[in-house]
Formats: sequence, structure tokens, C-alpha cells
Amino acid sequence: MNPLVYYQTVAVLLLGLGLYALVTRRTLVGMLIGVELMLNGAGLSIVAAAQLTPTDAILGQLGALLVMGLAAAEATLVLAIVLVVSKRFGNASADGPRELRG
Amino acid sequence: MAHWNCISALGHIAFAFYAAIVLVGGVLAVSSRSLVRAMVGLVISLFGVAGLYLLLMAEFVALMQILIYVGAVSVLIFFAIMLTRASADGGEGTGPGRRGALRAIPAFLLPTVLLVHLLFRYRVAGADIPKNIPVADLGAGLLGSYTLPFELISVVLLAAIAGAVLLAFEKRGTN
Repeated sequence: MNPLVYYQTVAVLLLGLGLYALVTRRTLVGMLIGVELMLNGAGLSIVAAAQLTPTDAILGQLGALLVMGLAAAEATLVLAIVLVVSKRFGNASADGPRELRG
Repeated sequence: MAHWNCISALGHIAFAFYAAIVLVGGVLAVSSRSLVRAMVGLVISLFGVAGLYLLLMAEFVALMQILIYVGAVSVLIFFAIMLTRASADGGEGTGPGRRGALRAIPAFLLPTVLLVHLLFRYRVAGADIPKNIPVADLGAGLLGSYTLPFELISVVLLAAIAGAVLLAFEKRGTN
């Protein structure tokens, strides 16, 4: 057993926990927490793969930093969307915005 | 050689410690009935991942993990909980129920089991010791080979900020 397998297992478990939260949570904020867990698993997987194999380690660490930047941008947008939804439907439940109006 | 074995055992213990923190925090984050507690679980899990980054000798990424995730993203999530909550639990008080949890099982178990199976079947060859690169090399990479993603992520962040302000901004006089 080499360490890379352990790290990737932890990353996959984070992905599974995030997916479970995404499916079972009723509110948009709970789903956002699940997405953040999944993004963390992705970052961990990228860094572990770059640090423990002959790949360019700079590429891996910068990739993880980019994932963090994207997560921050996504959290900002989701905060704004949650605000709009809660203003319009009275609560931040995911059951409110069910129909699209084109 | 005995010395090396001792260091290796310590590394395994540290890995088990951080992995346990990550998993306990993650379980708390997905199973807690209160959204604030779920956020605390997320923060615990993020600290555990920062510890794993330190074990991987990526100390700059670990610091950025604490600064960006624990410092910024969790505060954003806390704002989202506080600005929208109608009840004390934030709307998660009833939980998914037994049927909801049963229905969620294939959604997360299928990719997890598949990926873990592939991982253990095609055992990737990895080194035992992670590489350690100085932070100066990371900065040189950002300004050298990887300038385009660096510039693009700043554009994405600008678009996200502008979009968030535009969405949340309430025009005076319309209502």
C-alpha cells in the first residue's frame, strides 16, 4: 500500500459525503455545504496526485489554489441566489423555485 | 533503519488523525439537523484537509486552505444561514426521513464504491515521500507558465462579484 491510495480514498469519501448532502438536504445552504465538501475532496485529490507522483508539483498546487478560487466565487454567487430565493419565496428551501419561466 | 521506521509510523499516525478529523467533520456536516452545526462540521473537515496538505508538504496550499475556506467561505455560508433563516434550525429540522436517506444511498454509494474499487484495483504507483517545492517556485509558476489560468480566475472572481451584487441589489422604487 502506498500513501497515494490512502489520500485518494479520503478524497473519494469526501466526494461521497458531499453527494449525500446534495441529495438529502432540503435547503439551498445545506446543499452548498455539500458542494464545498466535494470541492475539498477534489483539491485534496489534485494535490496528493501531484505531490506523490513524478508530475510537476507546481501544477498540482496551483490547480488546488484555482479550485479554491472557484469555490469562493461559487459560494459568493450561491449566497446572492439564496438571498433572492428567500426574498421571493419566504424561505431558502429548495422546494420553492421549482418552475422556470421562459 | 529503525529511526526511519519510527518516522514512518509517526506519519501514519498523523495521517490517521487528520483523516479521522476530516471524516468526523464531514459526517457532522451532512447529518446535523441544524445548519449552524453543519457549518461547524464543515469547518472541522476543512481544518482536517489543511492538516493533510501539511502532511503532503504543500504548506502554502494548507495556509491558503485555512485563509480562503475557513476564513472566507465559511463566513459566507454563515451569512447565508443568518440572512435567510426563518426558524431556529434553518429549515432542516425534519431531516431527510428514512425514505429520503434510503433514496440518497444509490446517489452517493455508487460513485464512491466504484471509485474506491478502481483505486484499489489499479493501484497507482506513488512515491512514499512527497515533494517539497519552495513558495517562490509557485509564484514563478503563476507569473510564468501558468499566467493564463491566473488571469482567467481573476476575471471569474470579478464576474462572480459583479453578478452577486447585481442579484442581491434591490432597486429602489420597483416593488
